[in-house]
Amino acid sequence: MTTSTRDADTPAAHTAKTEANPAADAGRNQCLQLRGRLAASRVVLAAALAVAVLAGGLMLFGAYRLTSDESAQNHALTDREATEEVSGEVGDALAKVFSYTPDGVRATELDARRLLRGEAATQYRRLYGQLRKRVTEQKLTLTTRVVHTGVVSLDDHRARLLVFLDQTSTRDGDQPSTAAAQLAVTAERRGGEWRIVRLAAR
Amino acid sequence: MRERVRALVRPSKDPVLAAAVALLVAALCFAAWGGWSWHAAADDGARAYGESRDRALSAAEQGVQNLNTLDHRNVAHGLSTWQQSTTGELRKQLADGRGEFERQVKAAKTVTSAEVLSAALYELDERAGRAGAVVAVRTTVNAPKQKPTTKDTRMRCELSRTSGGWKLSALAQVPVGDSAGESGPGASRQDQGED
Repeated sequence: MTTSTRDADTPAAHTAKTEANPAADAGRNQCLQLRGRLAASRVVLAAALAVAVLAGGLMLFGAYRLTSDESAQNHALTDREATEEVSGEVGDALAKVFSYTPDGVRATELDARRLLRGEAATQYRRLYGQLRKRVTEQKLTLTTRVVHTGVVSLDDHRARLLVFLDQTSTRDGDQPSTAAAQLAVTAERRGGEWRIVRLAAR
Repeated sequence: MRERVRALVRPSKDPVLAAAVALLVAALCFAAWGGWSWHAAADDGARAYGESRDRALSAAEQGVQNLNTLDHRNVAHGLSTWQQSTTGELRKQLADGRGEFERQVKAAKTVTSAEVLSAALYELDERAGRAGAVVAVRTTVNAPKQKPTTKDTRMRCELSRTSGGWKLSALAQVPVGDSAGESGPGASRQDQGED
């Protein structure tokens, strides 16, 4: 509108100049408008991007925190089957390696070799090495029975347990005597079977 | 007109803008994934069960330690702690025996402290609010003119969930020769006073 009124008053030379301008002006305006719109959409886009990435990141972090905390990583009792399996296998292993008879020294040794690993194996060899001779000479027997088992922590490869044992020992025809034992046991899963790697009296 | 249309259409042909839109879609997908993972993690029943387990276990440890700790110089406080750590039948037993017990401990002038060596839950019924734990505990008894005596004890306890959190409802030593699961800790008794 303003252009047309201005057009009417201006001299020819000017008119020629201004007449060339409307198209350029319109182009420039459009360009500016477009640029403005582009700039605005860029800001919106950037903001949306930032919000989406931030929100996604925060929620993922939240999920990670929830699933990676100690409580979620520990499958003791939450995975009933695995808990029973490790309790059973570790209990059986303890009963086997801590039971012997004068005639079954070799069998106990073989069981220990199979069921114990690492530190527990070393510890056991040292102990049993001293005991072995006396077992046959003095006709000692030891029977170990699992009284209670609790799984402290459990994941796919490693478990910690607290096991209460009753150990009944006899020396060649003497009255048997029973003693209580509490063991903190660390077991590792090797080739699908639980093996005891650490034993500590509690 | 055609110019305008072209100008309007042009942005989508702008490779930068196209990339930005693609990026935004990717970011939205990322956000959706994050939201889904978070929801799945928060809604996980096993996780809630695991948290219950950990709370019950720490209550068992704290409770067993509390019930094996008593100072003759401050029996009232110690016995209040016992009351706070227990519920149900065990709480009643302790309350019933409180007077007699207080007299005994004051006469013997013993200071008993406890350290939980290891503990684990062996059962947890979250819906019923019941749990069972095994605890290995070391108690030290100081009596006047006597050397302190240290004793390692294995205990079994039962817990119940109350409005004030998990509390001990039964506690007993696991005696030698006890067959698993046979002697319930129903007949719980503290051996606190014996020196």
